[in-house]
Amino acid sequence: MQLPVLNEAPAAKGGCAASSCGSTDNQMDSLPDSIREKVQNHPCYSEDAHHYFARMHVAVAPACNIQCHYCNRKYDCANESRPGVVSELLTPDQAVKKTMAVAANIPQMTVLGIAGPGDPLANPERTFETFRRLSEEAPDIKLCVSTNGLALPDAVEELSKHNIDHVTITINCVDPEIGAKIYPWIFWKNKRIKGVKGAKILIEQQQKGLEMLIAKGILVKVNSVMIPGVNDQHLAEVSKVVKSKGAFLHNVMPLIAEAEHGTFYGVMGQRGPTPDELQDLQDSCSGDMNMMRHCRQCRADAVGMLGEDRGDEFTLDKIEDMEIDYQAAMEKRKVIHQAIQAEMDSKRLEKAEKAQQHKQEPKLTTRPVLMAVATSGQGVINVHFGHAKEFLIYEASPDGVRFISHRKADQYCGGDSTCGDGESTLQVTIRALAGCEAVLCSKVGYEPWEQLEAAGIQPNGEHAMEPIEEAVMAVYKEMAAAGKLDEKPETVRASA
Amino acid sequence: MAVKIIESCVNCFACEPVCPSNAIYEAKPHFLVDSKKCTECEGDFPVFQCASICPIEGAILDSLGLAINPPGSLTGIPPEKMAEAMAELQSH
Ligand code: SF4
Ligand code: SF4
Ligand code: SF4
Repeated sequence: MQLPVLNEAPAAKGGCAASSCGSTDNQMDSLPDSIREKVQNHPCYSEDAHHYFARMHVAVAPACNIQCHYCNRKYDCANESRPGVVSELLTPDQAVKKTMAVAANIPQMTVLGIAGPGDPLANPERTFETFRRLSEEAPDIKLCVSTNGLALPDAVEELSKHNIDHVTITINCVDPEIGAKIYPWIFWKNKRIKGVKGAKILIEQQQKGLEMLIAKGILVKVNSVMIPGVNDQHLAEVSKVVKSKGAFLHNVMPLIAEAEHGTFYGVMGQRGPTPDELQDLQDSCSGDMNMMRHCRQCRADAVGMLGEDRGDEFTLDKIEDMEIDYQAAMEKRKVIHQAIQAEMDSKRLEKAEKAQQHKQEPKLTTRPVLMAVATSGQGVINVHFGHAKEFLIYEASPDGVRFISHRKADQYCGGDSTCGDGESTLQVTIRALAGCEAVLCSKVGYEPWEQLEAAGIQPNGEHAMEPIEEAVMAVYKEMAAAGKLDEKPETVRASA
Repeated sequence: MAVKIIESCVNCFACEPVCPSNAIYEAKPHFLVDSKKCTECEGDFPVFQCASICPIEGAILDSLGLAINPPGSLTGIPPEKMAEAMAELQSH
């Protein structure tokens, strides 16, 4: 069977096409070798690597120095996590212990991020103490950090001393007038500064920090929250600016605003983008890059591989009792990492060959289709529909298959009983799959089968244990052959 | 003369390091101000440092017991709107 995979060798130009986002056709190619190498095996950025490797977060940094209108500071930093999530605050010592305990038990864990619950750089002592110790005691773990950027210029020197793999800056605008609609105030030089004045300082600090990091050779990713009617039109400009300064990826995330989160946007009824609006903007800003689109927002609070959360095994009292011989663990990790690398390399080769073959085939002219996949890693379909905690969304088109995003099964409700109207978990899951026309899993039960069909999503359990891209393409071809792709989908893509 | 942190504090730690008098300390169920140490920032800064970084409206009171950051002053959410949203939630 033919297997085209866009992610490895983009056959088509992204929607971005230089004009709107100021990028070249293929950003990966334009990156210096050293950076491309880092990105290619990174669980957060490389599509295939994230099936094999995992990352985790520790919450050591409670304070924040600004206010974002989509954040309620009773909860974790909304730039990093989904709104409404509360993480257990750790001391640097606890964070180091937890990281080493997880790394020793889950060898696939290779990246540690400091994320909130506030802004890591507004808590420099706690954040840097954690980095300093991990760089020394667990040198095989890559570190990363995210920030709103206000304190970034002052932190660059210190960051460059540790094992810092990349920095993520959340930049929602480059225009202070727009900024004033997103950030009501900042704390700056011993004063609270409100409105346009505050936003202007924040923007200047973000841009200065970005430039300084690039000058130091540190990888920078930029996240933006898409807020319809506020910065959606403006983000193409943001994209152009940050890429011209050297950010290797611009990642657009949807605003999630619910009144019950008690945020300004939630209470004022500001809506988030629909899946369609989001995807259009993401396409125009990131092109066809082989990148994780909003892994952060979905997985910030998870420990373990895709589709699993082993956080319960590493609670504070449990890690207190664990004896970790990290030297020994590091030896083991090295062997496992090499084996994974070898497997990934051979799979990449295979994919490249198949993509080559696909080019020879007569091209379909059908419209693209989104499909959801249930997987727990290794790049195959291996999770039962009812057990899936999250789905990977792929787009199949005549050009091949590409990864679009993660969606948590309960992304839009927070998973508790407060999501109203007695919606069942199944209904919530189906809602989370809005826009998809098929869902591929190892098995689907009778009840969900019927409801999925009724919602216009074709369940499919025929490709269990098969490689994801091959299966998605096979289903796409079946749909094309059955004439299902000649017209528009029957169900209107739901708004989230 | 001293400011006071009350129960709406969300324990975000932001005020503790910015206090010039080391008057703020972590406590259960929330942060507290040592009224003997608090100088109201006299001589150091023209504004209360703690209340200038605190993100929670009403969490810090001045010596008269008034909220230094009254409802609506930080989030920009008009108090009626907030009350409406909360009432809406309660009714579910
Ligand atoms: S930077 Fe993060 S913690 Fe601070 S206000 Fe914004 S979303 Fe909240
Ligand atoms: S008013 Fe000034 S001195 Fe008093 S607790 Fe707040 S920051 Fe400290
Ligand atoms: S800044 Fe405000 S909310 Fe945060 S700990 Fe201090 S008093 Fe509490």
